[in-house]
Amino acid sequence: MLGPVPPPVTPPIPPAIELHGLRHAYRDGVEVLHGIDLTIERGEIFGFLGHNGAGKTTAMNVLTTLLVPTGGSARVAGYDAVTERDEVTRRIGYLPADVRLYGHLTAAENLEFFARLSGLRHPRAAVTETLDYLDAGDLADRRLSSFSTGMRQRIGIAQAVLHRPEVLFLDEPTAGLDPLGVRQLRRTILSLNADLGMTVFMNTHQLSEVAKVCTTIGVLNHGDLIYQDSIEATTRRFPDEASLEDIYVRMDAVPT
Amino acid sequence: MALARHEYRAAARSRVLVTLTAVLVLTTIASVYIGAVDYRSRLADYQAYLDAARAGGITQVAPSPLALLSLLRGAVEYLEIIGAVIAITLGYLSVSRERTSRTLPLLRSRPVSPGELAAGSALGALGIMTTLVTAVAVAAVVCLGVIGHDWVGGAEIVKLLLTFAASITYLMVFWALGLLVTARSRVAATGLMVALGLWLVIVLILPQIGDTLDADNQVPGGLFAALNLDKPQEDLVVSHFGAYETVRTDIEEASFAKHYERFAFALTDVKEKYRGFSLGQLLDEKRNDIGWMVVYSLALGYGVLWAFRRTAPLPEGAP
Amino acid sequence: MIATVARQQFVALRRQQIFLAVLAILLAMTSLAGFLGWMSHHTVVQAYDEAVRILAAQGQPAPPDPLGLKPPLSLLSNLAVYIPLIGALLAIVVGHLSLADEQAEGIGRVIFTRPVSRTTFLFGKVVAVAAVLAAILAASLVTSVASLVMVNGSVPSAAELGRLGLFYGLSWLYLLLFALIGMVTVLATRRRSLGLLAALGVWMVLTFAVPQFTSGLRPTASLNPVTDPVSTSQPFFGATAHARSFSVSEQYKQAAAQILETGTAEPWSDTGRRVLPLLGALVGVGLLTGGLARRHDFSTGPSGD
Repeated sequence: MLGPVPPPVTPPIPPAIELHGLRHAYRDGVEVLHGIDLTIERGEIFGFLGHNGAGKTTAMNVLTTLLVPTGGSARVAGYDAVTERDEVTRRIGYLPADVRLYGHLTAAENLEFFARLSGLRHPRAAVTETLDYLDAGDLADRRLSSFSTGMRQRIGIAQAVLHRPEVLFLDEPTAGLDPLGVRQLRRTILSLNADLGMTVFMNTHQLSEVAKVCTTIGVLNHGDLIYQDSIEATTRRFPDEASLEDIYVRMDAVPT
Repeated sequence: MALARHEYRAAARSRVLVTLTAVLVLTTIASVYIGAVDYRSRLADYQAYLDAARAGGITQVAPSPLALLSLLRGAVEYLEIIGAVIAITLGYLSVSRERTSRTLPLLRSRPVSPGELAAGSALGALGIMTTLVTAVAVAAVVCLGVIGHDWVGGAEIVKLLLTFAASITYLMVFWALGLLVTARSRVAATGLMVALGLWLVIVLILPQIGDTLDADNQVPGGLFAALNLDKPQEDLVVSHFGAYETVRTDIEEASFAKHYERFAFALTDVKEKYRGFSLGQLLDEKRNDIGWMVVYSLALGYGVLWAFRRTAPLPEGAP
Repeated sequence: MIATVARQQFVALRRQQIFLAVLAILLAMTSLAGFLGWMSHHTVVQAYDEAVRILAAQGQPAPPDPLGLKPPLSLLSNLAVYIPLIGALLAIVVGHLSLADEQAEGIGRVIFTRPVSRTTFLFGKVVAVAAVLAAILAASLVTSVASLVMVNGSVPSAAELGRLGLFYGLSWLYLLLFALIGMVTVLATRRRSLGLLAALGVWMVLTFAVPQFTSGLRPTASLNPVTDPVSTSQPFFGATAHARSFSVSEQYKQAAAQILETGTAEPWSDTGRRVLPLLGALVGVGLLTGGLARRHDFSTGPSGD
């Protein structure tokens, strides 16, 4: 007699981001990433910290398929960033540092263009919906050349989330923003994470924001990942340090 | 002097400037080479004629039909076209470099007046232009000597030096134009495009219109030759086109490049009608062109000074 | 996806006013060419009449008419100078601007993190640039026809219109080559200004230096639609003449002269052969552009002027 039908086996959901032995050297031969292993689960807001020139942006460029690494592998939402580029790019959004779009086009025209590039069937509806969600509907018909840094940043985020990506990459998102802009950004990140389940990977120097927004952090030092853990575990591990800034300074000062 | 040295060093490190200079020198060498090869055979023919005349006891010999300096025509034309672009580029870089590195506020915070800034920049540019024209002149003269088997000497040296000075003046005017237009533009690259547009009009379009409208250029070999007219008959025909010729020459006169070209061609014997003129006669004949070159130089020079006085350290909203 | 990129590029060029500026310049150029053609024709006719009168007064026979039976399209002979001179520079600017923002403003970072390949993206840009150049040349064609009607007092015949169409088709290919050169130099350099200057350098070499090496044509001589034949008997030209067929500007001018009937008549097969180096250059530069785009590092931020 046959036994009970076993329950269907659902494959495990892969992590949002996986790096295995990631290396990268530029054309001049200088290696900026020295074999990084990193796993970020879905739904996390990950703060990637490190001194200037540590390799944070390079790692992000690999994950967003802009660079092909010279060694190791990078997987985003379960797909390889090199061999399955199209699958990865359908599932990610990217806000680069000092974002600039087409200055002679309006915000709506810019977003519609990027929506089409992302393969959205109804680009105009997606643009309207996204601008409303980000409370930036009043910027739609203005040309980007007239925008302040904060306004450009909001449209930059809009283009990154138009297609509701699974993973959102933010490179120095608070650079050049006034305190109000920083607060607005913080709220946006938290709501994207809460409402849409977006995993967020954020390069930043703003430790105060990391403390308020991130769930986990990683610290890169001269191309090596020297630390990765949740914010909670980090503050428990360093009880003598008054703030995340003090913890980071202590970690970053460790020579490699 | 510190500013001039800084300007010179920065320009010498610019890959584009170095590449354009290499293009200029190579095209000059090639153009002079082409002429020098032909010149060498004609020189040999003339020498043979002289030897034969001497051997035959003939003392009255025809003067040499050769004009060594006329082989520099290509060099002058390339300086006129490519040299002007290099000069504009240098003027543009003088501004964009300080904007990109945001060093103009730092310079302004020093005890340096706008006049001194302008003079330092101009001196540095003068150094670059002198280097450039010297490279072209040396390459050309060596080519003439080695390939043409005839070395520049005597009165030709003086004419060459005057052409050299005129060439530097010509290039400095375009440097000033590049700097002025770029300084007045919000985005430096737009200024460069505008300056190059002006170059196109001044160096190529206005002279082209003037040449195209020249009645004698309407058929290959010359219209008046095709009509079998001698010089007095040609002058008689031309006298009926007074207004036409006035408009045509006015169009040409509007081009600074044309004045430089006329002056240089007269000094380098490119224009046959000036061969045999003494230096004094040449300078007198070309006083109109000399005058225009002085006027343009002073006007653009003042423009540079005005640009340094008026330019804000950081243009509003500029990248 | 190609259509999306092409449409955006077309809007961008128009919105930067470059389209209008280039259109205005090319139309001004066409009108100027027509005016100069009429002026030169008119001048020669007047000079000839005057010469006949003067010679008759001196008891000499009338000289041969230097113009002979000048074909109507010769009115536009200056266009064959303005297209490689001004048109090519404008095409470089159009090509440059089509890729400059992605490079200089760092917009490539936002584009290539989307599911669009570089080849597709570049193809869209080339389609847009080609369409812009075609639209501008079409407007120039209309202006040329209007000039011919005004000066000759009659509408050009079907054969003449065919020749004009052929001339503009050839010019479109020529301008497309320089637009591609404008794109190549953006990809090969990091800064806007360097890209523009590099393209300008290539233009100077192709327009002035190469014709001098292969045909002895001096730089200012190539500005006149009517040029003296240059003595090329030296061994130097014996060697360089082999490269003459690769001199795209010379081949363009001679093919244009044949089409407009302003040059020495030659079989159409010879004229067709002159177009081959241009087509070859287009393919070569096109492939180079694609190769550079695939290898280009778009991950860097704004690079400025």
